[in-house]
Amino acid sequence: MDFIGTILWPLKWVVELLLVGWHWLLSNVGLDPAAGLTWVLSIVGLVLVVRAALIPIFVRQIKNQRRMLEVAPQLKKIQEKYKGKKDQISREAMSRETMELYKKTGTNPLSSCLPLLIQMPIFFALFSVLNDAQHKKPGVGPLNQQLADQFGNAKLFGIAPLHDSFASQWSLMTAGQPYTVSVMIIAATMVVLMTASQFFTQLQIVSKNMSPETKASPMFKQQRILLYLLPLVFAFSGVAFPLGVMFYWLTSNIWTMVQQFLVIRNMPTPGSEAAKAREARLARKGKLVANDGDIITIEEKKPVTTQRQQPVNKNRAKKQQARPGDAKG
Amino acid sequence: MNGFITALVLAPRNAAVLLLRGYRAIISPLYGDVCRYYPSCSAYTLQAIQEHGLVVGSALGVRRIARCHPWAEGGIDDVPAKKNHRYGVTPFGFVVAGRGKG
Repeated sequence: MDFIGTILWPLKWVVELLLVGWHWLLSNVGLDPAAGLTWVLSIVGLVLVVRAALIPIFVRQIKNQRRMLEVAPQLKKIQEKYKGKKDQISREAMSRETMELYKKTGTNPLSSCLPLLIQMPIFFALFSVLNDAQHKKPGVGPLNQQLADQFGNAKLFGIAPLHDSFASQWSLMTAGQPYTVSVMIIAATMVVLMTASQFFTQLQIVSKNMSPETKASPMFKQQRILLYLLPLVFAFSGVAFPLGVMFYWLTSNIWTMVQQFLVIRNMPTPGSEAAKAREARLARKGKLVANDGDIITIEEKKPVTTQRQQPVNKNRAKKQQARPGDAKG
Repeated sequence: MNGFITALVLAPRNAAVLLLRGYRAIISPLYGDVCRYYPSCSAYTLQAIQEHGLVVGSALGVRRIARCHPWAEGGIDDVPAKKNHRYGVTPFGFVVAGRGKG
């Protein structure tokens, strides 16, 4: 076994266990074990488990980001100090000072490198599991020969083999050999969906969930570049990767989108548009709690009238309350 | 002759420098800023390899990545400097003979 194979071995084992576990569950629920859909849903299940396991890390990051409000004035000071200085030495000094501030105040908003690097081998492990299944090779653990054969033969909707990619079909087509057009259509659809979900996620963050301090930072510029770079990556991988791997990625993207939506709605970055919207929403319901525990409510504006209110008896008062249009003032 | 030997000695770390520069130019921008330290993990590894060579530099890099988890404090974390500074660094990052500016 080569070096990379040794590193990936435990991850491949876990990926196979989750995949086979979901497949077993779905088969027992009544789905056809050999159907492509069952295997696609198993891949979706795999994503759910992996992403759910990463939630605590995400929550921690969000909590740190919320604490950014405390250091916003100091952060602004640093940004003003280096305003307009575009040379490398100033940029480095600025990053250095910012990082020092995060450490000193314990408000580091960055997510760290390790979780990201752990996700990459999972992706590679899945890729190699699917690739082996394509050649009907058994995996390193729970994916035995019988299941590998089944996976290798699985076709989505009975027509599109999961181990095929856009590129493989394209080369068959140009060589004048029989090819599956449905694989190309599904792959292209997934690229479009992935790009759309990515755009939506990024636009949500950029337009709603960024504090003015972040918008002034070089990080923001990078986010914008990312927005236009990723569709290219998706298009490229959508052509090269087998459908099974693409389903992993697509599901993961959709998870990110929903997670981001919920976070922006319920725990937005302080000072951002979304935070203001949330405060307004909560205040309307009378549920906004200030830092000291007080409940803040926005007084609804009542039309100012100089006219004296005629005292009325109980019954008439009730009737007036019930009259539509009167209740809201 | 001496120059050739130096180039040979520096070849592995320069290959790694090329690889890391490629990573930092193409893959790293894909997910934006994530590192909790300054310099970032990839910049740290790059500097460590320039300073200490491929083997020790990579080990330092791996140790740094292991420290860059969500519960880490982060902050400034520079590469430990070597006692005798023998080589120079080109603007691109290649390590060359001569004391240079590095």
